[in-house]
Amino acid sequence: MRFLERRLLHGVLLLAGVSVLCFLFTDLAPGNFFDEMKLNPQISPETVAALRAQYGMDRALPVRYALWVRSVLRGEWGFSFAYNMPVRGLLAARAQNTLLLTGTATALAWLIAVPLGVWMAYRPGSWTDRLGMGTTSVLLALPELVLVLALLAFAVRTHALPVGGMTSPSEGQGVWPRSLDLLAHLAIPAGTLVLAGLPLLIRHVRSAMLDVLHAPFIQAARGNGVAPARVLFRFALPAAANPLISLLGFSIGGLLGGSLLVEAVTGWPGLGPLLLEATMSRDLYIVIGTVMVSTFFLVAGNLLADALLVVFDPRVRTD
Amino acid sequence: MGAEHAAGVAMAPVLARAAGVSKRYIQRAPFSRRRFVVHALQDVDLAIQSGSVTALAGESGSGKSTLASCLAAMDRPDSGEIWFEGNEISHWTTRQLAPLRSRIQMVFQDSAGALNPRFSAAQVIEEPLEIQRLTSGAKSRTRACALMQEVGLSPDWADRSPLQLSGGQRQRLAIARAIALRPSLLILDESLSGLDLITQHEILRLLRDLQARHSLTYVLISHDLSLLAQIADYIAIIHRGRIVEQGSMRQILERPESDYTRELLGFACALESSWQRAQAGGQL
Amino acid sequence: MLHKWKVGAAVIFLGLVHAVIIFAGFLAPYEPITQHRELPFAPPMRLHFLDSQGHWHLHPFVCEPELRPGTFYEYDESCTRQYPVRWFVTGSQYRLAGMLASHTHLFGVDPPAQIFVLGTDNYGRDMFSRILYGGRVSLSAGLLAAAISLLLGALVGTISGFYGRWVDESFMRLAELFVVLPWLYLLLAVRAFLPLHITPLHAFFLVVAVIGTIGWARPARLVRGIVLSAKTRKYVLASRGFGASDSYILRRHVLPHTYGVLLTQAALLVPQYVIAEVTLSFFGLGLNEPLPSWGNLLSVLQQYNVLVSYWWMFAPALALVIVSFSYLLGADALQRKLQPASV
Repeated sequence: MRFLERRLLHGVLLLAGVSVLCFLFTDLAPGNFFDEMKLNPQISPETVAALRAQYGMDRALPVRYALWVRSVLRGEWGFSFAYNMPVRGLLAARAQNTLLLTGTATALAWLIAVPLGVWMAYRPGSWTDRLGMGTTSVLLALPELVLVLALLAFAVRTHALPVGGMTSPSEGQGVWPRSLDLLAHLAIPAGTLVLAGLPLLIRHVRSAMLDVLHAPFIQAARGNGVAPARVLFRFALPAAANPLISLLGFSIGGLLGGSLLVEAVTGWPGLGPLLLEATMSRDLYIVIGTVMVSTFFLVAGNLLADALLVVFDPRVRTD
Repeated sequence: MGAEHAAGVAMAPVLARAAGVSKRYIQRAPFSRRRFVVHALQDVDLAIQSGSVTALAGESGSGKSTLASCLAAMDRPDSGEIWFEGNEISHWTTRQLAPLRSRIQMVFQDSAGALNPRFSAAQVIEEPLEIQRLTSGAKSRTRACALMQEVGLSPDWADRSPLQLSGGQRQRLAIARAIALRPSLLILDESLSGLDLITQHEILRLLRDLQARHSLTYVLISHDLSLLAQIADYIAIIHRGRIVEQGSMRQILERPESDYTRELLGFACALESSWQRAQAGGQL
Repeated sequence: MLHKWKVGAAVIFLGLVHAVIIFAGFLAPYEPITQHRELPFAPPMRLHFLDSQGHWHLHPFVCEPELRPGTFYEYDESCTRQYPVRWFVTGSQYRLAGMLASHTHLFGVDPPAQIFVLGTDNYGRDMFSRILYGGRVSLSAGLLAAAISLLLGALVGTISGFYGRWVDESFMRLAELFVVLPWLYLLLAVRAFLPLHITPLHAFFLVVAVIGTIGWARPARLVRGIVLSAKTRKYVLASRGFGASDSYILRRHVLPHTYGVLLTQAALLVPQYVIAEVTLSFFGLGLNEPLPSWGNLLSVLQQYNVLVSYWWMFAPALALVIVSFSYLLGADALQRKLQPASV
């Protein structure tokens, strides 16, 4: 348990470090956000003054940081100047959409990568293996931007799938047609993410399996006449679990942070476009909030991976 | 190792000495409170007489390499004194130690990465000359080739990488590098371990020749007693950081006093015949 | 030996691609900002060797695009007049690598005709020229940013590995921070806090600086590992025994081991950074009009009608893929070549 405690402490320190980094950036930023806000006719001067007081914009950096930490712990994550609403609600809604997208894509990618990787490792050098490696090499070289644009162009040309956004305008439709509509919109962004993430996943699974398949105990199982499929999935895969679990942790950790590009280009209403807009409009607390939330996910993902390791890999426990 | 030589050595002045030297290592994981304390040396006294071959024998982890580092002024003891040529050097600064660098040299075990694989043989030997700014360019090269010949390496190999040399040849190269600065004290830390017996024999002969030619003093560190018996005048047995027993080679071999020494002797095979051969008239 | 061949081929190919950086002006028939307002979204011109009378010409020629009446941006080819492609023509002035002034362009046609190898954009600007000039910008941004990352990383890694203790601890914790964060988010966050409207030259260096400084962590870790293991080698100890100074040891024994890793990292980082610049510019946060970058060339594809109808606007993406692919091949071959060398 010492191991997990250390990792937890580590994660908390990491989060703190990132928040400090974010705040340092705000200090370096030229101009005062609140001056810009004052120019905005939609926000009343009283709100401005109140916010200034709440976030201590007139005080020194450490004080501002402390005030922000306090408000975060109380559940108030700042105020969005562009949307004129608290950051938290905005982030929650957008984060949900992002998770829907990345969750689907990640699950799909793993479901494809594991069997494929195992199969390729089982028959290294065969034409399936070589074809697989070649395809992954090509996919690795393709930048995500190009992938998403290509898929969009294909979808548009063939009129097969709706382009842009998460839902089509519709009212009063039932659950089933709405779900189908959602899936149709999900196809391109999720497809891009899957294609972008698949090559590395497959390679990792393959190399982890290759390492294990050369171990003596596998040779013994084979020699004892155990059926190949059983050898693969009952003996080899659990042994290869260690690096794969870490990878799973990274996959989970990247659920919030990895889809910015795809969301922005396909118009999927997730955290990505939000951050982009906030960057353009210098919406300070949205930017900080988004970075913090995705870092939190990353840390949580890594912690989950560590916890899984403790459960599945006895070697880790002897510390 | 004739009787006259032994007598001559016994009357020689002390070149280097460790007096009451202690050193410990504390290992601490960062941001954690657990500490491991390793007592590498505890109250060690050792005198090295000019012109002698002093052996330091012990098993792995006994502290022999730590003592070697302290004697070579590469490391500082926590307490005690290190004497060299009449100066107490354990608290000297880097600047003060600089002129001493050419007087004390070390030769390491072959497999310990003692030679930079990206250097050529000549460059390996030229390095100390370059650092001490004694010669440069063509002169360095000439000197390096001369040293190669002295240790029994063909100067044609000057441009070869150490990786292309055999274990014995690499050790010759390491010895050439060590004597390039004309030291008075040479410390050989497990330098013959990992070599086959014939090569060991040849290297020992080389060491003897060099000692006679350049008036060198050796400290030979090894776990192999039968090897040490062939060349050493004095021997100190070290166990877990303490000198368990020390004296002349004959003394230790014929009348060991401590149990540990007896245990070590028991493990050394063919010790008798090595010793007798060495006694039978200095033929090596 | 197969790998050596691959490295050589990759290097040559990359060299050719990067020659664009220096020779953009020569290879491009037009300035990137030259507009042909009467020919927006003209498709790439076909090179004809056979004319309407059935004669075979040695010199290829191009025809005139004519706007189809009653449409926006649809063209027919009218070969009533043929304009042969000329080589080494005199055109607008440019500067080779920003220094040598010259008027000679590789190819062109006599006025009033135009030659659009890859079509035009919505302002009638020649896409081929824009891609060349854009390539110059994007590639050099990638190279410079990679240089910054590697230099920073090597510096931090060396200090960290060589002097150890708390210096090492603090640097490595900081590095962990930078490695763990999603790079695009970090990039945007940093960009968010910098002024939005700046001169193109400032924008270029700003983008390069931002991308470069974020990526120092991985090279730093790698260099630190090498320095740590080299530091403990006995030949370093022997060097100290000869009285060598820290700088001598670093220079002669430690740093030479890092060159291989740094080279491989360079081969991996440059394409990543080119993509980073393209991504930033795509979203309008990097280099903006009128300075062409592959990113802002591609951003027009966000418009539905462009995405559907004008396939030649995808050309910068193809260029990006070619660059990315050749770097990856080179990095792969390099890694395999350098693998056997151990410290």
